[in-house]
Amino acid sequence: MAIAVDNRPEPKSLLQDVTLELTEQRIGVIGANGSGKSTLLRLINGLVQPSSGTVSVEGADTVRAVRAVRRQVGFVFTDPLSQLVMPTGREDVELSLRRPVRNGAERRRLAESALERLGLLPLADQSIYELSGGERQLMALAAVLAVNPAVLVLDEPSTLLDLRNRELLRRTLSGLDQQIVMSTHDLDLALEMDRVLVVEAGRVMFDGGPAAAVDAYRALVTNGLAAP
Amino acid sequence: MRGHGFLLANYVPGNSVIHRTPLACKFLLVVGSGLVSFLVVDWLVSAAVLAALGALFLLTGAGPQRLVSAVRPVGLVLVVIGLFQWWQLGGPTAARIVLNILVCVVAASLLTATTPMQRILDGVVSLATPFRRFGADPERFALTIAIMLRSIPYIAGAFADVRDSARARGLERNPRALVLPVFITTVAFARQTGEALAARGLGDAED
Repeated sequence: MAIAVDNRPEPKSLLQDVTLELTEQRIGVIGANGSGKSTLLRLINGLVQPSSGTVSVEGADTVRAVRAVRRQVGFVFTDPLSQLVMPTGREDVELSLRRPVRNGAERRRLAESALERLGLLPLADQSIYELSGGERQLMALAAVLAVNPAVLVLDEPSTLLDLRNRELLRRTLSGLDQQIVMSTHDLDLALEMDRVLVVEAGRVMFDGGPAAAVDAYRALVTNGLAAP
Repeated sequence: MRGHGFLLANYVPGNSVIHRTPLACKFLLVVGSGLVSFLVVDWLVSAAVLAALGALFLLTGAGPQRLVSAVRPVGLVLVVIGLFQWWQLGGPTAARIVLNILVCVVAASLLTATTPMQRILDGVVSLATPFRRFGADPERFALTIAIMLRSIPYIAGAFADVRDSARARGLERNPRALVLPVFITTVAFARQTGEALAARGLGDAED
């Protein structure tokens, strides 16, 4: 599988020679900024489509059956403000449920239940701008989890958070049943994964256990700094 | 980013007469208020309608502060419009135009302050359902309204941020330093929103 940007004067491959089967419950993706982590994650949800090769989730191809894929794969962005569309968390969670649940009363009940699961009910009617970064990120997570996806993809969800909110997010994620695929710069968080991919210059340079992956990433960075 | 106060009042939970009024009546009130701005030619009538709507707003229990917050974002624009119209057409016409705009803002705020957004969207879906026979997707109509309501305060916030940055660099009189960054931020916001909606499967065609 490869992904390329072809409308530039010099076509540039964002990811290449990637063959992966992601079956573990918790998968981390680490690497430098611009290495291809986000592109790799976006392929799973069909936000980015491969220029060659295929990506499939539970047998559904991300190009031919993108809607089916998105029903199974929830995506959480780095900045929750770019994800939350409605003025309050409750309304945003209800927005997620508009398609699958036509009945308004049932939608409200399910939204409350999704918010309660993450302990967000007391914040449900507050403006999203009045929430802390961590609360916003959890609200975005609640909106995604409301439709009960099988897979949860998170693109650097803790990058904008302080230590307290990072911890809050970490605890929440550790209690979820969904398969999680998450990119992060937080190496402590990466160490808690079952499997970690190290992405560098559009290639998966290491794929294995978390401790070995973090060591490989550190070595990659050290060697890269030493090179000049 | 700051300056995210909504142009219209956010929903305030309550059980007032206005909260319990059917959505269709509140929709009609907003439409009627819009028509007022075309039909009414006497500023005293506009003032009376505005006073009546203001009283109705206070009946909701949302409080005068929220009413002021809903109107404040258009304050500067109204002053500019009012002064220009006064200069061009005289005091009574200027007063009528400004009051009629306020009537529309207060009527819309009355709707949004007493109706949960999802109920409003349900109403939009119901109104748009007849267009389904022409291939339209009513849920997309609702989503468009939701995004519009979300985007206005975001762009207002972007403008406030950019203005502060320009001031800090001594460029507050340079229109390019104000307009270009807001334009770029707005385009980036549109892309991010589109991507977020796509990731959530919102806006996809109906099954």
